Amino acid sequence: MLAPNRVILVLGAIALLLFCSLDFGTIQPNRIVEGTPYGALDALEWGGFALVTLLLAVTLVAAVLALPGRYWAILVSVVLLLMALPWLFSGFLEDQLGERYPYGRGGFAAGFWSLLFLLALMLVEGLRQVGASAWLRLTAGVLVLLSWWRALEVEALAGLSLVMEFQTRPDQFQQALLDHLALTLGAVMVSLLLAVPLVLVMIRRVRWQRPVFALVSFLQTIPSLALFGLLIAPLSYLSANLPLLQQLGIRGIGWAPAMIALVAYSLLPMVRNLFVALTEVPADLLEAAEGMGMNRRQVFLRVQLPLALPVVIEGVRMTTIQATGLTAVAALVGAGGFGTFIFQGLGQAAMDLVLLGALPTVALALAADTLFTALARLSARLNGATAQPSLIYE
Amino acid sequence: MIELTNVSRRFGEVTAVDRISLTVETGETCVLVGSSGCGKSTTLRMINRLLPHSAGDIRVDGQDIREVDLQQLRLNMGYAIQGTGLFPHWTVARNIALVPQLQGWERARVEARVTELLDMLGLSPAEYADKYPAQLSGGQAQRVGVARALAADPNILLMDEPFGALDAITRENLQNEMLRIQRRLRKTTVFVTHDIDEALRLADRIAVMDQGRILQHDTPDAILRQPASAFVESLVGSQDRGLKLAALQSVAEVMQRHPQPRQAVPEKVSVGAQDSLRQALSVMLWQQLSELPVVDDQGLELGVLTRERLWRETA
Repeated sequence: MLAPNRVILVLGAIALLLFCSLDFGTIQPNRIVEGTPYGALDALEWGGFALVTLLLAVTLVAAVLALPGRYWAILVSVVLLLMALPWLFSGFLEDQLGERYPYGRGGFAAGFWSLLFLLALMLVEGLRQVGASAWLRLTAGVLVLLSWWRALEVEALAGLSLVMEFQTRPDQFQQALLDHLALTLGAVMVSLLLAVPLVLVMIRRVRWQRPVFALVSFLQTIPSLALFGLLIAPLSYLSANLPLLQQLGIRGIGWAPAMIALVAYSLLPMVRNLFVALTEVPADLLEAAEGMGMNRRQVFLRVQLPLALPVVIEGVRMTTIQATGLTAVAALVGAGGFGTFIFQGLGQAAMDLVLLGALPTVALALAADTLFTALARLSARLNGATAQPSLIYE
Repeated sequence: MIELTNVSRRFGEVTAVDRISLTVETGETCVLVGSSGCGKSTTLRMINRLLPHSAGDIRVDGQDIREVDLQQLRLNMGYAIQGTGLFPHWTVARNIALVPQLQGWERARVEARVTELLDMLGLSPAEYADKYPAQLSGGQAQRVGVARALAADPNILLMDEPFGALDAITRENLQNEMLRIQRRLRKTTVFVTHDIDEALRLADRIAVMDQGRILQHDTPDAILRQPASAFVESLVGSQDRGLKLAALQSVAEVMQRHPQPRQAVPEKVSVGAQDSLRQALSVMLWQQLSELPVVDDQGLELGVLTRERLWRETA
């Protein structure tokens, strides 16, 4: 009765194919010179190559064979592979750099990235197939992260150019992280604070709905680069003429235009979700609450808001993810954040510096996604378990 | 007591309720019955000011409702609606406790009251107090809805088709429950329904409404015997009016009472004292009998019901 799992089969086959055919890593004698590519067999030699191929083969066989417990075999193989990758790469760096290139550095190549990406997808599918609990998911993630963390800690990846880029600017990295978080969370908070009164007015006065939606949708259509740039001139003018603004640190460049633009973009998802969340609470419930003797404030705080909360959190989640990405662009107007590395890297044609900015941005977005999804589930559970499942998971 | 005098409600050009006057005496159950759109729900919702009335006077215990504090007015009126209106994010206990809490009762008193009400409506407190509405069946949820309306012991009960969404058997159980509670508590009740049988069953007085007007306001007996218009006649049905009338009276009211209760003969077909004449008639038809012994709960024979007597009473 167990059919072959096509998803794992296809992913595993592609992974094996790309691993064998694409370059696994590159070696640069120094930061500027273009690197030499190494195929998987050259990079890992027979031992490492055999290990990867073997574990991938296990997943393929398990995907085809209709055996009970096969997903556990797949899960174990995939997690082992993900844990082994930094150490395999460490071996490659040691072999190729060594004494030969004292200033040399290694980088991940297409084969490595493909393998990483496809393994992650296989992990997700495997966890889904065994109906993994939150704890199992967490354990799998922690195991992989621990292995990578350990590799970094013992400087097994010291020769990796990404790591070298980081090590030349740890303070800058920390500052970028703080700036990025402050801009993103600030924009989300401000847009939430603006969206609440807007939506409350829209619910009470129907004729406000169209103009408000039109305005926030229009803001969304302005290209982000243009909006950041367009704000420079008026803000410079205001700052030059109003000493108070100057004292607050509001100038044509820096955090001020970035924050304004980020808030403008965050308004649409925030307003739309808040509006839907609050208007989807059944009207007869609100009327029952009123008829029972609650005043308007009590109806809102005790009935409408709690029932709307899962969808509200969903809106905050979407807005945060969007703002995390946009904040990277805000570096163009001097607002700081991980975008700084991206644009520096682009300017210096140093792709690993670009990665140093891009990877943490992606990580932040994923972290926000996980956090708010968990919060939405929690609030849905507090709303009486099975009460409103349709509101959260379509 | 609730008094409506020349009350109207207009929605723009449409007049939903047109100069109606209606008095509900203290302790009386008044059922507003009519087809959908006749203005019965609108009338009910004007009494607790969910809808303000456009013209006329509404007085509760002599006081104009527009002069009473809105929240106070509503807190003194139990309110139950179709589809229960229970808050899905609150447990059964918290739903019932709502109005007492809004009135600032002490915690212990609220808890005792919730337990008392769950018991009264036949839901075991230990089992149901901490459940969420989604975990209840339709009938159980509606019982909780009724309990919530009764929670703060209001003088007035407003019920807007509370049993409308239930299946026939559950609805009949809840109607019986309602009659039992009403015999005990005697709340001044306004009950809205489109089901004439439910109205005949529960009402002290029925107000038949059509197109925003009250066509007839009278006891169930009078509505059946002397329908004021063709509409009322068609509502109560011309064919089975006799059966509906028979359903209104209990056997105990009509039987010939024995001087002394005596031991009933166990195997003999009989009818209960609290059964309706309609049930007695059905038994007579089915068993081809011209008289039935009437027994009480303890198995004592109180009297007999003869066919002639039944004929005379339902004429």
